[in-house]
Amino acid sequence: MAGLELSTLPQQLVNGILLGSIYALIALGYTMVYGVLKLINFAHGEVFMIGAYAALFASWGLGYTPNNAMSGSNPINLLIMLLASMTLCGLLGVLIERFAYRPMRNQPRIASLITAIGVSLLLQYGGQLFLPSSPAPNIDAKVNPYQDNITIPLRPVDGTLVAAAKQLEAKQIETKTAFDGYLERTKESPFQLSAAGQPFKKAAQDAERDLRTAEGKAEASGLSIRLPKGQMIMLVTTVVLMALLNFLVMHTKPGRAMRAASHDFDAASLMGINVNSTITFTFLIGSALAGAGAMMNATFLSGTKIDTFFGMLPGVKAFVAAVLGGIGNIPGAVLGGILMGLAETLVVWAGYDSYRDAIAFIVLIIVLLFKPGGLLGSNKVEKV
Amino acid sequence: MIQNRFVQNLRFIPMNRSLFSAALLATVLGITAVGCTGGETAKDKPGETPSATDAAGGGTAALRPEPSGEGVKAEGDTIKIGIVGSLSGDQKPWGEDSIEGGKMAVEEFNAAGGLNGKKVELLVGDSASKAEQAKSAAEKLISDGVIGIVGEVASGHTIQIAKSAFQKAIPVVAIGATKTTLSDEGTNVTRVCYTDDFQGPVMAKFAFDELGLRKVGVMTDNQQPYSQGLSKSFSDKFKALGGEIVGEAFYESGQTQFNGQITELSAKKPDGLFLSGYFTEVGAIAQQVRQAGMKDVKLMGGDGWDSPQLLVSGGDAILGSFFCNHYNNREDRPEVKQFLEAWKKSHGGKEPGTTMAALGYDATKLMLDGLKRAASLDSKALIAAINETENFAGVSGNITLKGANGNPKKRALVVEVRSEKDGFQVFRKAYEADEVK
Repeated sequence: MAGLELSTLPQQLVNGILLGSIYALIALGYTMVYGVLKLINFAHGEVFMIGAYAALFASWGLGYTPNNAMSGSNPINLLIMLLASMTLCGLLGVLIERFAYRPMRNQPRIASLITAIGVSLLLQYGGQLFLPSSPAPNIDAKVNPYQDNITIPLRPVDGTLVAAAKQLEAKQIETKTAFDGYLERTKESPFQLSAAGQPFKKAAQDAERDLRTAEGKAEASGLSIRLPKGQMIMLVTTVVLMALLNFLVMHTKPGRAMRAASHDFDAASLMGINVNSTITFTFLIGSALAGAGAMMNATFLSGTKIDTFFGMLPGVKAFVAAVLGGIGNIPGAVLGGILMGLAETLVVWAGYDSYRDAIAFIVLIIVLLFKPGGLLGSNKVEKV
Repeated sequence: MIQNRFVQNLRFIPMNRSLFSAALLATVLGITAVGCTGGETAKDKPGETPSATDAAGGGTAALRPEPSGEGVKAEGDTIKIGIVGSLSGDQKPWGEDSIEGGKMAVEEFNAAGGLNGKKVELLVGDSASKAEQAKSAAEKLISDGVIGIVGEVASGHTIQIAKSAFQKAIPVVAIGATKTTLSDEGTNVTRVCYTDDFQGPVMAKFAFDELGLRKVGVMTDNQQPYSQGLSKSFSDKFKALGGEIVGEAFYESGQTQFNGQITELSAKKPDGLFLSGYFTEVGAIAQQVRQAGMKDVKLMGGDGWDSPQLLVSGGDAILGSFFCNHYNNREDRPEVKQFLEAWKKSHGGKEPGTTMAALGYDATKLMLDGLKRAASLDSKALIAAINETENFAGVSGNITLKGANGNPKKRALVVEVRSEKDGFQVFRKAYEADEVK
């Protein structure tokens, strides 16, 4: 495999954090539900999938259908898509809890777990009946008004190399104009040239190549990181949502109820806390966060295709992230998510592209073997 | 109080945390195993392919075993033929088109009187864009008594069909499966398309001569045997021409986020990228390549790009890219015109979206042609007849299988990706079978 390329490391770290922010949003849902109900909600990945579809339908509703003729977009569209996605996911989460998990609540824990897997499969395969999935659709990139990048230079480029590249520009333009002129005169196709046209083509190609090589060299002499604006918005939104969540859990009444229920389910209900509505609320918030993650993933990572299995891999990875951070622990889920994103991109950076998805499970195995409580979770063993 | 006891019970269940974690782990691993659709095809690494095929251009006689089974006889008043395609999943555009093409060929055959009064019945199997589904679809068709199978479009799927058909000595005419070593499965396997050791070099030559590229990065879908083979044949030729493969990156079908791989390739400053995967991922890759600042880098690929869906997922980023295809709707040959006319009649005036319609039609027609010439109405005689095909005038060009070891010599057309309005694929350059070696 390829040797380690230090120059791409800063960019890969950025990629990792951006990717990790999506995992973090999904992981929050896993961790909140586990904290309160001690249930791994395996259908959470499918809620994420439905969120992507909600954003897709919202974008279609706004006119960004396949092969549309829209030009440009505005932030309001993104907001509408985000709200559509969060609302629908929140509702779906509540429905799943009400009709799939609540009847199982007084059964052994394994029954709920199996129900969760059942709901997950139901949505994956049942979804194919009424959701467009083959060929897999995607959200039109045009709906995202933030297409460009912010470039942050870490080390300036070599001025002499830039100047050298600049000098080649004139030659490139000159030969290209000559070639275009020839094509114009003779009406030949550039791909079926007669012998007379070949020298023009060769000159144009050579000049173009020299220029690009020089430009590449100049660029490589410096070091910069590229922050795609859309994905930066994703990161900022994630941070804002997490701050809101933290406020909600730590400083509001429903949050206190949630913490109480997670601490001791029975004592909480004895103290007059309505545990049913607390659980409903937990599902609502957790699922809405997954919806936000889905909308941003499908919109800001352009061309992301959506099918009914869209939530499977992100769901499993986010679950690993939650376990890594310490399941039941909210800051842990965020930390775990970011670490998972980083792990994934660093594997690619190291040249082991094919192990990108496998790394999640390697991490899971290591965590379960050595620190089953997770990084920020308690390592307390439940005694018999 | 019930709740109270429940929770207490839970606490005292001897199933402690580590056991619970182990159960979880098992579940998660189970889920991912379901997710890995390419389980069987994944072992088909380019490194394991017999090296003889690289030198000889695929399908050497020594490597093609003769099926030893007894074969299947056609009984009753109808002759049953099967066709396999993806009617669901990612590759639905190909499956639908190829099956429609097959149906057209059978309808025409029956309308022209069938075979000595006997009609042909076409049974359809759905491979659902998965190799293992292709296998079970083929086996279902075989148990239904077909004497020949047409299909599939994807090489990974066709290999499975070929293996099942080999045991029963049933002929398989592949539609768009271009993986070079496919025809080594047995003499029962033939195809109507070119192979990747032709298509790859064609794109390498086009990139080197016509686009003037010298430094190219390659991205391969590790879950598709097709993509692995194509990347290799492209790279070998490109290096032989004097170009440089500056970087290689890998992904897997279904992946949606390629920033990691693209960052690594971008650091190598390529002037072109060869994306050997299917249209299902290429669109997203193209968008993310452009977003990563590689604005002038030329994108190229193989016939796996062939679906208008590419424009939906690739947006503006994919426009101006080039890929290799089997034929073009604008070609001025009578076969193409007749086919398009008949297709439009039954499809509300629309042209087929992918070339797999024509290849599905050709493959089915070729099998029916073999049926006419077969010494008897059984699958073994049909295999022999198909392998004797000479100068069959297909929509995608002339097909001769006699002495070709299942791999006909075909033309390859390089097309440029343009917007829907401009007709999606615009013909740029044709390469004859012997032109690139």
